[in-house]
Amino acid sequence: MADNTTHSNTGRAGTEPTEAKPVEAPKMLKAKINGVDVEVKAGTSIIEAFHQNGQSIAHYCWHPGLSVAGVCRLCMVEIEGNPRLQIACNTAVTEGMVVNNASEKVKEAVKWGLDFHLINHPLDCPICDQAGECGLQDQYMAYGKYDPEMAERKVKKHKVVDLGPRVVLDTERCILCSRCVRFTDEVSKSNELGIFNRGDRAEIGTFDGKPLNNNYSTNVVDICPVGALTSKDFRFRQRVWFLREHNTICTGCSTGCNTRAFYNKEGVFRIKPNYHKDVNGYWMCDVGRDVYKFANKEARLLDARVRGEWMVPSLAAKKTGEALRGGGNKVAFVVTGQYTNEEYDALLGFAKNEVGTSNVFHWINNPETIEAFDGLLLRGDRNPNTRGLMDRLASSSLSAKWPELVQGLTSGAITTVVVAGPENQSQFPDLKAKIMELSKAAKLVWLQAGKNDQLEALDGDVTLIPLKTYLEKDGTFVNYKGIAQTVKKGLSIVPASLSITEVVELMRGAPAVEAPSDVDQVGVGRIYNEFTLVRGNL
Amino acid sequence: MSFKLSADGVKYVQNELTRYESKQSAIIRALYRGQDENGGWVSPDVVAELSRVMDIPASQIEEVSTFYTMFNKQPVGKYHIQVCCTLTCGMLGGRELTDAMMKEAGCKTYGDVSPDGLFTFNKVECLGSCDTAPMLQINRDPYIESLNTEKGLQLVRDLRAKGGRQ
Repeated sequence: MADNTTHSNTGRAGTEPTEAKPVEAPKMLKAKINGVDVEVKAGTSIIEAFHQNGQSIAHYCWHPGLSVAGVCRLCMVEIEGNPRLQIACNTAVTEGMVVNNASEKVKEAVKWGLDFHLINHPLDCPICDQAGECGLQDQYMAYGKYDPEMAERKVKKHKVVDLGPRVVLDTERCILCSRCVRFTDEVSKSNELGIFNRGDRAEIGTFDGKPLNNNYSTNVVDICPVGALTSKDFRFRQRVWFLREHNTICTGCSTGCNTRAFYNKEGVFRIKPNYHKDVNGYWMCDVGRDVYKFANKEARLLDARVRGEWMVPSLAAKKTGEALRGGGNKVAFVVTGQYTNEEYDALLGFAKNEVGTSNVFHWINNPETIEAFDGLLLRGDRNPNTRGLMDRLASSSLSAKWPELVQGLTSGAITTVVVAGPENQSQFPDLKAKIMELSKAAKLVWLQAGKNDQLEALDGDVTLIPLKTYLEKDGTFVNYKGIAQTVKKGLSIVPASLSITEVVELMRGAPAVEAPSDVDQVGVGRIYNEFTLVRGNL
Repeated sequence: MSFKLSADGVKYVQNELTRYESKQSAIIRALYRGQDENGGWVSPDVVAELSRVMDIPASQIEEVSTFYTMFNKQPVGKYHIQVCCTLTCGMLGGRELTDAMMKEAGCKTYGDVSPDGLFTFNKVECLGSCDTAPMLQINRDPYIESLNTEKGLQLVRDLRAKGGRQ
């Protein structure tokens, strides 16, 4: 959203402010929206005023994260004293303005606007992935004509256009709101998309069939108000009304975008961004979109494995604890930046106090690119909580360096290694090498959520304990800026798995219990449509 | 990239860029130049080349070129004959004139290039010369007005003779 409050001294042609002026409080304007008195900052558009005051207004092309296009003509409002309806997105609020979008005149205009949008729309909702979260469906429920008067033949356009590695385009469904075009122009600045031809033959497309291939491409699927742009990853996998949402944080890198995971009893199916002013705005990157795949059951370590035998995780943790306690500096801990503050506190406390070792090592997965940044969201540090881990290592004055571990393993000074391994294995290019390196220890304890054939194939005294993923536990991640964000337990995919905190408690001697029976378990397949219970008889 | 603007063309486009407040405003002028230098049509190569010269994303240039009908998206003959078929010209035989000329030139459909590579015919909307209907325009040259079938056929023959000589 453009910040319209600083018009006063941001002069154009190189006039730099000579002295720091005190920041003036933005001028506030009083207005009336649908009979409710509101107060907004000067420069606010009417549609922003609607949203700021919790009023609903029909719209397609306007998006708070993009420039104003004013092409969908759906956000019509009636302004007192103005004989013609105006679009709310491109009209600024003025002092004393009285606006409504509830009059018959407005409803009539929106109704016709919607009917024009639908002239060439194929109405293939039964096979359209957007059904259930479609702007056309939603607005039609409120403003539909229900007696269309458009007798013209529909213009046929291209369907199932392979736009790029992640996005599929159906140009017939498109209402030409231009959100996606503005996104590639203004946000990703990759300029792939354009509106070609004109009138009823106008279509979204890329120049000369060039692919829409940037790391933010799936955002155009999110902002598409209709089913024109759909995600290859999600298409036809679930109907959206069979999915529940869980608000969480992306653990794909140290930015910590606010996201929501869509899941049901068959697993997690997609990730979409949530708005956060200071972290990610409205967007997230495509790398982050895949940060649910490792959480699903097929990728998970389902039980503990001790010396090649499967075992209940809590028992394995308890047994391991007995062997570790009092082990002193012969025991080394290797920690990745993938876990929560609470888990680090528990693990580091256990290492220092019960085990009595100062050998705690920070496994940095990609030291060469860790400082990289793509200029928008994605950071080279592909861990959600490197900052939290470093803070905790520093405050417990644990400062062992990796070469000491290598040396200790070679000399035999370190015999036991406990690894809090990567949750997101795909972002650890050195995983294979590290497993080779660390398996030199006489006893290896590896805590990790996902399965890994190389680990399972190791002989000798190897213990694997399955961990919970970020979707299945409470905790805090600190992003690169130092913003602490909490995740809440949303669902349970492998109920027997443990968080590191739980592992540590068991290692300290807490009684091992059978896996708690979680209400919200996923991964057992859909037996009946549980959502009909929510909807009632409909 | 097979199409390159001539040195003069680059100079022309760069000069156009300085004439307007936004770079995008120069796209139409640049496309005309590119079309002329590319034998009468805007191929994807032309768009890519203009994108390079003007430093404007190719998608934005393509948006303009596909929006306007004056930019040909397919190869055209040496003489791109645009016959007005809007009201006045239409009533005074514009369509029949087009058909006759196309038959003479050997073009089967609108937009088609004749076998000798000389002619392409298209019906166009009003060119603003209703008092001299029916009329047509060849490429971007001055109008040829007050036509009838005989004059039209003669025009095709003259052009063929002229085009063949060159």
